[in-house]
Amino acid sequence: MDYLLWLEATSFSIWMRESGVAFFSTLVFHSVAMGFVVGIHIAMNLRILGCAPGVPLSLMTRFFPVLWVNLVVVSISGAFLLASYPTKAFTNPVFYIKLAAVAAALFITWNLTKGVLRDPVHDTVRAPRRARVLAALSLLLWAGAITSGRLLAYTHNKLLASDPF
Amino acid sequence: MHSTWGWPAVESLHFLGLSLLIGTVGVFDLRMIGLAKGIPMSALHKLVPWGIGGYTLNVLTGAMFVTSAPDQYLFNPAFQTKLALMAIAGINVLVFYRVAFAAVKLAGADDSAQLAAKVAAVISLSCWIGVIVCGRLITVFRPPYYWCFWC
Repeated sequence: MDYLLWLEATSFSIWMRESGVAFFSTLVFHSVAMGFVVGIHIAMNLRILGCAPGVPLSLMTRFFPVLWVNLVVVSISGAFLLASYPTKAFTNPVFYIKLAAVAAALFITWNLTKGVLRDPVHDTVRAPRRARVLAALSLLLWAGAITSGRLLAYTHNKLLASDPF
Repeated sequence: MHSTWGWPAVESLHFLGLSLLIGTVGVFDLRMIGLAKGIPMSALHKLVPWGIGGYTLNVLTGAMFVTSAPDQYLFNPAFQTKLALMAIAGINVLVFYRVAFAAVKLAGADDSAQLAAKVAAVISLSCWIGVIVCGRLITVFRPPYYWCFWC
């Protein structure tokens, strides 16, 4: 608990909690950027699963710059939120479920980028079964990340390590 | 809705719905603005029904929030702004399909969208980002503890 006590007593953590605007504006950035991260994944996965077959699959990566920018915003804002209430997140198993879901989903994206998205042969034919299974799994993982993220506001046992109870 | 898991479950569905909208309508808007040339706009437009699905899901889940705690929404400036942005986005959709969609449908894979379509795409994307921002801010402007110039 020592490092949590130290982290929540840093001036940045206190400012995040008490400035009145910092916390909520960070939440706004986190939500909007998460919408884009999940959204672009939905578009890519729907295309792999066979929707909008006229879209050349390999060109879906042209939306990835928007994905990367938003992933950076999600990570930085997430780190800020974590610094605001470190105990709230680190003592909640749901937080680790969310991180694991995001990590697994991004691993799948990396895998698809190396495979089916790289080869223009898949532009006009149906994606292989393995890619379709991974795309479906990615959609489920993002739904899990959203749900566990939302649950973080409801499932924490302890808000701050310095709380007496 | 006021049970232990009712509210967070519906919130999760609401976020899934907005991601569907961004991933289909938002991605179509990005292509019209000029990103991802090489993808035919007409082909990308085939994803839009999924966005309409997301929108419908969000109207339903949104109505569940409002009817469960109407006083927290109707007098909330963030919610009022959200509705106004949704109305602008709705008018934008009607104008887009009337004025610009025919040319978008015929455009080639590498073509730029015409100015009217680009303007509609910028309005659409701005409105939906604004809707998410306002949605997230609803909890900040909980009546009666808030301030805004028309409150």
